Amino acid sequence: MPESSIIRFLSVMAVMLVVGFGWFQIGLARLKKQGVDESAARTQAKQEAKKYSIIAAFLYMVAMVSVAGLFL
Amino acid sequence: MKMMYGMLMALTPAALWSIYVFGPQALVRILAGVVAAVAAEAVFQKLTRQKITVKDGSAAVTGLLLGMAVSISTPWYAVSVSAAFGIIAGKQLLGGFGKNLFNPAMFGRLFYLFVFPDSILPWRQPFDLATAATPLEVLRETGEAAGVPILEMFLGLIPGTIGEVSSLLLLIGFSFLVYRKFVRWRIPAAAFSVVLVLALVAGHNPLFYFFAGSLVVGACFMATDPMTSPKFPKGQLIFGAGVGLIIMLMRWYGWQTPGVYEFTEGTTFAVLTMNLFVPFLNRKFKPAPKR
Repeated sequence: MPESSIIRFLSVMAVMLVVGFGWFQIGLARLKKQGVDESAARTQAKQEAKKYSIIAAFLYMVAMVSVAGLFL
Repeated sequence: MKMMYGMLMALTPAALWSIYVFGPQALVRILAGVVAAVAAEAVFQKLTRQKITVKDGSAAVTGLLLGMAVSISTPWYAVSVSAAFGIIAGKQLLGGFGKNLFNPAMFGRLFYLFVFPDSILPWRQPFDLATAATPLEVLRETGEAAGVPILEMFLGLIPGTIGEVSSLLLLIGFSFLVYRKFVRWRIPAAAFSVVLVLALVAGHNPLFYFFAGSLVVGACFMATDPMTSPKFPKGQLIFGAGVGLIIMLMRWYGWQTPGVYEFTEGTTFAVLTMNLFVPFLNRKFKPAPKR
């Protein structure tokens, strides 16, 4: 696999991880504030984090493909 | 489950045709997609201690669609990695079949476009595998939709991705799905209607736009995924119209990266963008309960 492909692959993973972990912390804090039980809040925040990390990956890839001339 | 096997059957004629016109290299790419998608689903479910559901056929459909959505010039490992990514990130992370936000095959294809852009080109001519431009590239370069015989496009004698070459066989497969009531026919009907109107407004032959790129495979097989398309008729019409509109805008004004790749087709972006609106369309157009 070409090096540039590996870098792009890792960059998508990084975006997903950063958004996922970030959203998990934000979502968990928000749900706790709303008085949701700890374990239920964790489950819900985890699900939301996965969803938004996938949306972030979609937006990131579309943005990068659309400005591919700058990125590649 | 029946629907997924129906989908595999419906795609088989077009897949066999592509193997016939492009040779064994097409088979290698299709198998790379199917094997990687099924294996990725099985391994992920095993590692996360879920029930292994590869027998439902949905992963095989994803792999087949992705294998058919790449060019013959693409290395097999690019197809495999993209299929595995589509299955894991596009489907399994959110809980698997029925819980996914995006069509996994299209999500895998976006990943392929992003990670392996330099492996897309060159497009190859059927049979002799000579380097050739697709009809949509010809349109972009010349500004005219003429030049490529419509019948050749319809029968599948044009360069393009492995699975998009034969509109005829794809439509036969889609007719089977409609006959068995496996797909939401309103989605492709709306997409084709929008393409027809826009082509007529532009003064071009609509048949060119129907058969030139991946509209048929995208609108009939990818946009109709029951898990990532709207449940209700009005929502389906808007979803399909959105797919048709984005495809046409991409064909006319798609991104251009000189020397790298020129986006003359937008099925991937159209389907994935409209997937984002599905929860909204399902809420907005939910029929009122009968009294």
